[in-house]
Amino acid sequence: MGKKTVTFADDKTSENVEKSYEQAKRTTATEKRITDPIKNVEDKWQLLPAFLKVKGLVKQHIDSFNYFIETELKKIIRANDMITSDVDPSFWLKYLDIKVGPPERPDNDHEAHQSVFTPHECRLRDLTYSGNIYVDVEYVRGKTRVIRKDTIIGKLPIMLRSSKCVLSGKSESELAKMFECPLDPGGYFIIKGTEKVILIQEQLSKNRIIVEGDKKGLVQAYVTSSTHERKSKTYIVAKNDAKNDKIMLKHNSISEEIPIVIVMKAMGIQSDKEIAQLISGGNQTFLNMFSPNIEHAAKIKIFTQKQALDYIGSKVKVTRKIANVRRPMAEEALEILATVVLAHVPVVDLNFQPKVIYIAIMIRRVLMALANENLVDDRDYVGNKRLELAGSLLSLLFEDLFKKFNFDLKLNIDKLLKKPNRASEFDAHKQLMQHGDCITNGFVRAIATGNWSLKRFKMERAGITHVLSRLSYISALGTMTRITSQYEKTRKISGPRALQPSQWGMLCPADTPEGEACGLVKNLALMTHITTDDEEEPLRRLAFNLGVEDVSSLTGSELYQPNSYMVFLNGLMLGITQQPTGFVKDFRSLRRCGRISEFVSIYVNHHHMAVHIASDGGRVCRPLIIVESQIPKVTSEHIKKLKQDQMKFTDFLAQGLVEYLDVNEENDSNIAIYEREIVPQTTHLEIEPFTILGAVAGLIPYPHHNQSPRNTYQCAMGKQAIGAIAYNQLRRIDTLLYLMVYPQQPMVKTKTIELVGYDRLPAGQNAIVAVMSYSGYDIEDALVLNKASVDRGFGRCQVMRKHVALMKRYSNGSFDRIGDPPVATELQTGPSAERFSILEKDGIAGVGERVSPGQVIVNRHTPTNLNANIPINMPIANAPTIQFTWKHAPLSYKSPEPGYIDKVCITTTEQEQTLIKVLIRQTRIPELGDKFSSRHGQKGVCGIIVPQEDMPFADTGICPDIIMNPHGFPSRMTVGKMIELLAGKAGVLKGELQYGTAFGGSKVEDMSKILIECGYNYSGKDYVTSGITGEPLSAYIFFGPVYYQKLKHMVVDKMHARARGPRAVLTRQPTEGRSRDGGLRLGEMERDCLVGYGASMLLMERLMISSDQFDVHVCEKCGLLGYRGWCQHCKSSKFMVTMQMPYAAKLLFQELQSMNIVPKLILEEF
Amino acid sequence: MLFLTTVGFEPTHVSISDPESDPLDLSGTSPVLLLIKPTMDTYTGAIKPEIKIDELTSERVKFILTNTDLSMANALRRIMISEVATIAIDIVEFELNTSVLADEFIAHRLGLIPLDSTEAEKIKYSRECSCQGACKECSVELNLHVRCTEEDTTKDVTSRDLVSNDPRFTPIQDGPKDPGILIAKLRKGQEIKVKCIAKKGVAKEHAKWSPCAAVAFEYDPFNKLRHVHYWIEEDEKKEWPASKNAEKDFPPGEDEGKYIFNNKLTLFDFTAKPNRFYFEVETIGSMKPEDIVMNAFKKLLEKISSVQMGLTTNDISITGRDQPREF
Repeated sequence: MGKKTVTFADDKTSENVEKSYEQAKRTTATEKRITDPIKNVEDKWQLLPAFLKVKGLVKQHIDSFNYFIETELKKIIRANDMITSDVDPSFWLKYLDIKVGPPERPDNDHEAHQSVFTPHECRLRDLTYSGNIYVDVEYVRGKTRVIRKDTIIGKLPIMLRSSKCVLSGKSESELAKMFECPLDPGGYFIIKGTEKVILIQEQLSKNRIIVEGDKKGLVQAYVTSSTHERKSKTYIVAKNDAKNDKIMLKHNSISEEIPIVIVMKAMGIQSDKEIAQLISGGNQTFLNMFSPNIEHAAKIKIFTQKQALDYIGSKVKVTRKIANVRRPMAEEALEILATVVLAHVPVVDLNFQPKVIYIAIMIRRVLMALANENLVDDRDYVGNKRLELAGSLLSLLFEDLFKKFNFDLKLNIDKLLKKPNRASEFDAHKQLMQHGDCITNGFVRAIATGNWSLKRFKMERAGITHVLSRLSYISALGTMTRITSQYEKTRKISGPRALQPSQWGMLCPADTPEGEACGLVKNLALMTHITTDDEEEPLRRLAFNLGVEDVSSLTGSELYQPNSYMVFLNGLMLGITQQPTGFVKDFRSLRRCGRISEFVSIYVNHHHMAVHIASDGGRVCRPLIIVESQIPKVTSEHIKKLKQDQMKFTDFLAQGLVEYLDVNEENDSNIAIYEREIVPQTTHLEIEPFTILGAVAGLIPYPHHNQSPRNTYQCAMGKQAIGAIAYNQLRRIDTLLYLMVYPQQPMVKTKTIELVGYDRLPAGQNAIVAVMSYSGYDIEDALVLNKASVDRGFGRCQVMRKHVALMKRYSNGSFDRIGDPPVATELQTGPSAERFSILEKDGIAGVGERVSPGQVIVNRHTPTNLNANIPINMPIANAPTIQFTWKHAPLSYKSPEPGYIDKVCITTTEQEQTLIKVLIRQTRIPELGDKFSSRHGQKGVCGIIVPQEDMPFADTGICPDIIMNPHGFPSRMTVGKMIELLAGKAGVLKGELQYGTAFGGSKVEDMSKILIECGYNYSGKDYVTSGITGEPLSAYIFFGPVYYQKLKHMVVDKMHARARGPRAVLTRQPTEGRSRDGGLRLGEMERDCLVGYGASMLLMERLMISSDQFDVHVCEKCGLLGYRGWCQHCKSSKFMVTMQMPYAAKLLFQELQSMNIVPKLILEEF
Repeated sequence: MLFLTTVGFEPTHVSISDPESDPLDLSGTSPVLLLIKPTMDTYTGAIKPEIKIDELTSERVKFILTNTDLSMANALRRIMISEVATIAIDIVEFELNTSVLADEFIAHRLGLIPLDSTEAEKIKYSRECSCQGACKECSVELNLHVRCTEEDTTKDVTSRDLVSNDPRFTPIQDGPKDPGILIAKLRKGQEIKVKCIAKKGVAKEHAKWSPCAAVAFEYDPFNKLRHVHYWIEEDEKKEWPASKNAEKDFPPGEDEGKYIFNNKLTLFDFTAKPNRFYFEVETIGSMKPEDIVMNAFKKLLEKISSVQMGLTTNDISITGRDQPREF
């Protein structure tokens, strides 16, 4: 019935298309290519899983950490390798090498424990997953040189799945033996049992010139220089008004702005002509603009380097501690100019030439921006951003800690060497061993609190680390891809928050939080990779070999020849080239054949006449298919080989089929999204367009049909969905664990879902949804649930909560203990016996027992007197004979809902204290007010649960699980949800999963065809009968499966009421908040209503009687408060009266009295 | 107003009659009704409701109910879904559970296992039983004790492992080859030992007591009564595939669109009433499909008779709504 009865394609229009196509064929008959069939590379998305195997998503954290351990640590050691003594000049200590060992158990001294130290043990035992840092040292002992290998100087937290982690390179079954989930991405740390992520930090790029202008016409170029020793910011400022048109240099170490010509003179360019040439390079406009500066220098009579240095020297801020060696000011200025101002430009042997040229370029950029205001840089451009990862943050921290370690070591060695006669020979090795805690604790503290304080940069940053959110698998992935920026959240700035076009393919356009952090917190896209630092020297040599003329041999006029391009390497000028295109082309082909790192980028900036080569770390980049003469280099044969596992992603890179482009190079390329869009200019082809979304936004089916904020809402909600967390979820003892009883993989999947493994760890269920109005309990997005579905397990979830009891040891030798459960006969029956009823013989509640509120889980006793000291020199053997007295300090269950003991874990911490963790489970069935959401930002609470017989049903007898109000659609415009329903319905009927991948996925047309084949209406609407009357509904109902998520917000956790209850100590007013059983506040606005209404007695009741009424004794004579009918001021009880007032008011009076203000009460009859 | 005249119940047809005096009943004049040859009740002369069974398998029954009101037909449907009593596991006592699944999880799964409820009528509701808790009269005890001893494989715990103490009420099994319904999977050393108490109940309380999976219900597949407003883009017939019941119904005849009401030509007979209902009942296995229908009829009769009883015994004249209620 109904087969082929509906026409989908409009015949007329297709005819038209045909005609125009024919025309096109005729007119372009000479150019054969246009009419050639476009060869589509079949399944080129297969490159994605191959890519994700080697890079992407969380791999950047791991890569960055590996780079830190393997390369950066060694560099840091090399930079700080010598320790000498001020006391003994013959003593020295030199670090030769450094390495990090595998993670080790802190209490590994019991040799019996031979098993591997797994991350899961750390989670359960509240340990830190860290490995030892070993160094090889060479030092002087007595008169000999000693080499000591593998000395431990501290412990470094190890990132999970990094090269040092026990999990790296393990198979699924090996991981299972270590209780680790194969889908867990790793990339985080375990610090004292909690999983911590070092978030990706977004920063403006270092060592690059940024020109910015403001509305007042002020243009400035600035550089944030960053070297290992120093961070500084140098500005070159120009004001574009008639009065003050001078260009100045601004720097923190100089107290005021210095005219730029003076700076250049101080750097040794004494000739005005040379200065003019360096800046204008013969360009008359720039010369005219700059000449006032030169005139100004002449006016204030500064001609020579000496004069200039004196001028600057008088302005230098002297912050040195060692002021005793007062140097001439000129010398001071010279040092500042050489080492502090533009610190990243090297000044070797006081050869200022590179720095002068650098300043000249900065000035020129300022002049260019003054002449053409379009030439200012965009600070928000992603190419001007660098992402700092765990590795670089840790290396900053390590260098700081290591310097402190060396400083302390040196102090200690000096102290020991000062002692004239020692019993044994001085061995620095011993000292080395003693300071280990400094580094260990430094790391642990920084990662645990998220406070990165670096002494040498005077940097103090908070909130670097986050706890890895284990609410659902997706929320864990979400924290791993999150990027935070350093902008203040409170400021109302729109620029940095806005979606940047250059974000394309690098950062997810949908995944950002709502509210204050909107647009400041971002997420990585699926195919993004973040670079690590690369060696500069080979690149420099290569550039010169490819024909770059060295700067040192150039004069100003040569610099700015009309057809010569300046070549920069990581922001530093190398030289010039006459053939920029050829140079770039050669460079790229060398990169494509693997002669230089694939992450080195090169691009031409025609505005600045410059070629930029970048090899620094933190650039975002992504792979693209190379297109040469309109043919993509990746062919179907390659993909076939990839599928057969004959090729890997690295092979694609090595063979020059695919390459990484960073944002800057991307903007210098012409990238086609589809094969059919390839034109002669095309240089690259996108691998798959859906990779512009991140892992979290990738879950949304048909996101390209949704209104954009809806996708953003779903990104926030997908992280709150209850589902499966990890394969080891039942082994975990987390503070709070939400698990769904019957999670299902979505009917409508996306490619991303398969790539990230959401189909294996889903968080939701496929609910049959009827879009209709029902019962009136569905207004404002409320949902109607089917009772039978709920009975059968829809939306059922388990909530597990951890309860911890630590058996402390106290300084006086006493300790907590677990008491036996009280003997039943000794207790009176009733509530007190009930409290201890679930305890087993060991004093801990039994697994499987039902726990009611107030019941004891761990029967802990603490010693009554913690101060009674045992004499210090008492032999340990006697210790047990001391009699301690104990009091009850049980761990009891406080939640209002009963639960069941799921697990009990008894273990010891690092400090050998017994740790008891009890996991209590609740199984929750959906109820009124529980929150649900589809994958399209459409959240709603359950408004009513309706018995099945009352539910409407389709002609086949199918009842919906959820009824959703159709008013949710028009204003939200979530067309994607409708298509999901359609595709889901077609999939269910055909018995296969459908795809809703962004910019692709199953087509509506095909879905409609399936529906028709199965005897349904093509629009997804069904004939539905009312369950109450039995009459069919006059309208047809949109009916089919939609993936629904249960969100963590459930009414049982929120419901709260109180009659009487606890009060705050100070004010005697009811406490605040549900957790403290607080009162419900009648706030200012509610008060205003009552005042306006005139219900003063009600006000009195609400604000005083129901809150903090207090009887006070007032002396009518003096108006002060008394006590118990006695006025201490009048020394009489004659005029005392009692009255009621809020305790807070009485408190206020007393507080005022304490600050010499006397409030007096004048009483009248009421 | 419907009055029940025949309480005697026969398997093939149910007699519910309309008193001819009812002025509201226009069914006699309905053209739809005229097309069908109505069977008259020999005793009262009323038209007798009738059931025609189209298909009957162990899983489903398809039947057509005719000559009755929509409210009756829908009541039957509702009762089949929610008020046919069956047996299902209600209380689970865990002696040992070392499986990965939580106790509540397993208990919930056990509850949903269909037990053979053909003889559910012979057991009492436990609330009506005089015993405390559970006894032979009102409950069935099932025991489950499985332990996995094999290495490197999982052992499936299925409904076949449930041992009932009453042979009448056992987990359903579709032949000896039926692997049973999976309850849990065990690894070596894991063990489940539980005692389940199954009780009689209705799906109103919990869906586990529902005997049927889906009840399809339809009348007027050609929309002759115009109860449905078709949503169409171009052609109704092309876009809306007809239901399977259309084959069994009478297509709109020549006189479609030529009805006379109050001497005016109307497009259709809007006084017509549905009287031919297509049912399809699918069982979950705990009961034979025909038994579901039969038990539902019984329940329906009980309900109607209780209404009738109430009306006749209390002797209250039902003249108006505003009469004060007397107790």
